[in-house]
Amino acid sequence: MKILVAVKRVVDYNVKVRPKSDGSDVDLANVKMSINPFCEIAVEEAVRLAEKGLATEVVAVSVGPKQAQEQLRTALALGADRAVLVETDESLEPLAIAKCLKAVCDAESPDIILMGKQAIDGDNNQTGQMLSALLDCSQATFASELTLDGGKAVVIREVDGGLQTLELSLPAIVTSDLRLNEPRYASLPNIMKAKRKSLDVKTPDDLGVSIAPRVTLLGVELPAERQAGIKVDDVAMLVDKLKNEAKVIS
Amino acid sequence: MLPQRVIEQLIDIVGESRLLFEADDLQRFGVDRTTLWQAAPCAVVLPGTVEEVQSIVRLANQCNLAIVPSGGRTGLSGGAVAKDGELVVALDRINQVIDFNPMDRSVTVGAGMITGHLQQFAEEQGLFYPVDFAASGSSQIGGNIATNAGGIKVVKYGMTRNWVAGLKVVNGAGDIIELNKGLAKNNTGYDLRHLFIGSEGTLGLICEATIQLARAPLESSVMVMGVENFAEIVDVLTCFSRDLDLSAFEFFSQQALDKVISHRGHTEPFKTETAFYALLEFEHSSPDILDKAMALFEHCVDVGWVVDGVISQSQSQAKNLWKLREDISGTLWQWQPYKNDISVRISRMADFLEDVDQLVMEQYPDFEVIWYGHIGDGNLHLNILKPEAFSVDQFHSKCVNVSEEIGQLLAKYEGSVSAEHGVGLLKKDYLHYSRSAVEMDMMRSIKRAFDPNYIMNPGKLFD
Repeated sequence: MKILVAVKRVVDYNVKVRPKSDGSDVDLANVKMSINPFCEIAVEEAVRLAEKGLATEVVAVSVGPKQAQEQLRTALALGADRAVLVETDESLEPLAIAKCLKAVCDAESPDIILMGKQAIDGDNNQTGQMLSALLDCSQATFASELTLDGGKAVVIREVDGGLQTLELSLPAIVTSDLRLNEPRYASLPNIMKAKRKSLDVKTPDDLGVSIAPRVTLLGVELPAERQAGIKVDDVAMLVDKLKNEAKVIS
Repeated sequence: MLPQRVIEQLIDIVGESRLLFEADDLQRFGVDRTTLWQAAPCAVVLPGTVEEVQSIVRLANQCNLAIVPSGGRTGLSGGAVAKDGELVVALDRINQVIDFNPMDRSVTVGAGMITGHLQQFAEEQGLFYPVDFAASGSSQIGGNIATNAGGIKVVKYGMTRNWVAGLKVVNGAGDIIELNKGLAKNNTGYDLRHLFIGSEGTLGLICEATIQLARAPLESSVMVMGVENFAEIVDVLTCFSRDLDLSAFEFFSQQALDKVISHRGHTEPFKTETAFYALLEFEHSSPDILDKAMALFEHCVDVGWVVDGVISQSQSQAKNLWKLREDISGTLWQWQPYKNDISVRISRMADFLEDVDQLVMEQYPDFEVIWYGHIGDGNLHLNILKPEAFSVDQFHSKCVNVSEEIGQLLAKYEGSVSAEHGVGLLKKDYLHYSRSAVEMDMMRSIKRAFDPNYIMNPGKLFD
């Protein structure tokens, strides 16, 4: 069984993002970039399946700039067998990424495609679902547990009000939620080994995919700053403020 | 108890609501993080200005009242303990940013400012206050200066002393003195500022400080490596620090890691168990730095010092790896540890540790000893955990014997009985292992010059 796992290079989770001074986009100059946390969970899951002997090959794929090789090397250090980068400096919408991934899937024919449920930069939560439509294959999003059972995948997914269990025929797309697993640290010996693993670079043109954007970004601004709260002296003052200032009771 | 007349005078100075007598307040303001002494101050006073501090000190001189200065009370040596009816003077209200000067890259703050707030202020200005340790969310800058606090970035940035450009103090005689006034160069005789740094409240009260700020650090990586022999951790340190500018180099033992993992639910760095772990951090000061670090790691594996290792791939991972080290102290509290905070020169550390280990194993086989520390600056934290069968008193009387013997070893290795926690009440009986009789006499003369009536934190540092 072959697993394809998608990883995205995003602003590090701990960075406080700021708009550029002209408000045209998020300022990415000298900002720490990392693997998207949900993608990291997907990689961990793929590697665990390989360690259990359930997967024979794990291929990590990223669509993005040349520097996304760093995140692919991380995936390789975590245990992926080889990597493919679809290199482009264009700003990428979920559909463009899904199309690139579709082209890679056509060439690789994976049985399971593991992805993060969303990337923390755009928070779109669309790529997995779009890829499922393009490939016309089954999908299970927000997975918190994944088991393989005789050519089927059983996924427990987190939904409002509880857990839902799905059985999927393969090939299938599974997108990871936070509780699927806790990713390991990249071990230094494995980082060294990862340097010798193969990393193919392709372009969207090579794959015959058009990634022309369909959405224009008009501007980026910080959310309005919240006013500090105040302390009231007593209940009477609280009621008075709720009535006359906030006007939430009458 | 304070005479009514003194109470009235104190109220005149600070106002009624700033003089506290409630049992809860006396308890809270009367002890630091040590558990050996009972809080018993006569009152707690919270001045809001340097002038109010001065009036309090003058009054204390008139009525022969001992003062214990109080910051965040996160100390581990009893320096802020008021156990003998002293007046606690807490600097909590003098906590403002008084002046920020971007050209000098310095900020003047009230001594009661919480260390974490100073770090945050620096960050908001695109700068950096580099002294950092586990208690920085509660400790105050005045206390940090009075104890010359160290912490986890000393390898690169040095101790608190390095960042103090000026002080405004009230000495024990009640004079307000400005020391050094923020100057970078000032060769005009004795630098009294440096006497106040590390004085543990025995010379006067630090009221305001002008702090030099550093440039914001670059992105950094954290590595954790497994090492079988302590001596080889020192080899790893030497190897890495020769080629890389490290911002931290820490170590901890397997027992320390086990306890942190089981009590805090952290993930182990890797599956291979080793006797010791080295944690190091470096900034990405050049594009090839990661390759350099990898090459050094490879070398350490090739010569057999290092068994396994990981490197952070994101800031979250860097933070989580740091927690393995930073959460040790907090985790150990439940065993009521006897804490030793000692230092020797790096070149002598391996031999020293072997001697101490042997000493404790041979003479105190019932004790569990947990090693960790800031090995990059020769600072070892040796924690002896209280066995359940021992009462607190029994345990401490035995630990006092251990301390004597460690003190003798330290004297032999020319080390320090207190690397960064200070002397306070806890270490004063062992001070003679690190300081000669002549030095002790000179320190007493210095105290007399600043505090003629011996009202400032009496009984701390020395008798």
